[in-house]
Amino acid sequence: MRAFLAELSKLFSLPGIWLACGIGAFAPAVIAVLDSIAQKEDIIAGVSTRLPEAGYIGLAVGVQGVIILGVLAVSSEYSTESSESGGGQQIASSLTVVSSRLHFLLAKAGAVTVISMLQCIIAITAVVPATYLILGEYTPLFEWPKLIGAVCYWTFTALLAFGITVITKNGIVPLAVLIMNSSFVSISFLLSKVTKLALYLPDRAGIDMFMSLSESILSPFTGALVMFAWVGVLFSAAIVVILKRDVAS
Amino acid sequence: MITINSLVKHRRKQEILSGISFKARPGRVTGFLGPNGAGKSSTLRILLGLDRATSGSALINGKPFAELDNPLTRVGAALDGAGAHRMRTGRAHLCWIARAAGLPRARVEEVLEITGLTNAAGKRVGSYSLGMGKRLGMAAALLGDPEILVLDEPVNGLDPEGIRWIRTFLRTRAESGNTVLLSSHLMGELAETVDDVVIIKQGQIVADGTLAEVIGKHPTLEEAYFALTTEYPGENV
Repeated sequence: MRAFLAELSKLFSLPGIWLACGIGAFAPAVIAVLDSIAQKEDIIAGVSTRLPEAGYIGLAVGVQGVIILGVLAVSSEYSTESSESGGGQQIASSLTVVSSRLHFLLAKAGAVTVISMLQCIIAITAVVPATYLILGEYTPLFEWPKLIGAVCYWTFTALLAFGITVITKNGIVPLAVLIMNSSFVSISFLLSKVTKLALYLPDRAGIDMFMSLSESILSPFTGALVMFAWVGVLFSAAIVVILKRDVAS
Repeated sequence: MITINSLVKHRRKQEILSGISFKARPGRVTGFLGPNGAGKSSTLRILLGLDRATSGSALINGKPFAELDNPLTRVGAALDGAGAHRMRTGRAHLCWIARAAGLPRARVEEVLEITGLTNAAGKRVGSYSLGMGKRLGMAAALLGDPEILVLDEPVNGLDPEGIRWIRTFLRTRAESGNTVLLSSHLMGELAETVDDVVIIKQGQIVADGTLAEVIGKHPTLEEAYFALTTEYPGENV
């Protein structure tokens, strides 16, 4: 518990985490508003095929905040001080305070999970009124199971970013790949045009938890299981890597 | 007591440590000397559980570091730089460490005072000089008031006042019965601080004894060091 609280303290004392929280809280509402404005005329005319996505699209695309959170939580450990300052890394301090690497990783993952869930809850409380503001009575019903699915999607996404960064040690590659993939035209979306197997990639399966896209083949529950399996595989790999790796390597 | 026993470390195809053994005893300051790349930092990192030994053991009071309960209260370590993220303030860095070790917030202010960082505690670590970073690393090592200190080049970057402070401080710690193991390449400073000396060269211990034993017939520790670590000692005279 002490290690978990220390990880929360560590994260909240980094300015980059507050940027991630800001993006996570407001980007989905902004995206939801812009999408609702674009769709409003078609929705009122009753010809929109994307009515069920209204609002939820913000939660699907505006996931960058938790990606930054998951990446930064790990990459900040490996960020090297300048050579003038001695060239040290925070990971050395962390592992001399919490000597069990497994406890260290679980405490950090726990902190990322809690912050991701809170970020998503704040994002939902912004997205729902923002969508109502634009669409009024035409706003689709926000159902609890779908909103819980969105919270799971955000949390799993943060943990995927976390696990990948443990393996790479460097935040740039996972940040670039995951943020690009969470954009409107994602790599997995393009791949799904080539093979249906791409619908089992974590982001596509995860979105099925709260959105019904035309090409979806997974139920919300199956989508959750598939994304959770991806998290499990990557997190297991991260555990193996951190248990075996020398800090100096 | 720190016990290094037949420690071997291979990295890729290179042998970094070739079965080194030595002890750092309570009540004494042990200086760990050697040229760059001799294996000093690797030994300290293995001792602190940061790197893994290929074979052999590095024990703290008879236990590997990973088996210590709340290690910060047993061993204080300061390795390269401050060991802190550059965007965090010095105080915030110490606060998360204190929280992880279950130490009160007041202890953070105490170690800031001890290391002379109180006025700089609210600044980001990225703005610290090398000496300030070293002081922050030292403050983190002292948080748990541990019986053992492991310090890598602790006087590097410190101003004369800082060097004098650390010399006095480490002597006081050792005289209170604590164990201090420090690596350094500043012979003059080391000769005035340490009781015992261990010299490592290319992953092998070439001298281990009290300061007087290691100096032997040489006029200074520096002369003894170069005689033991240089292929052709005359080159450095």
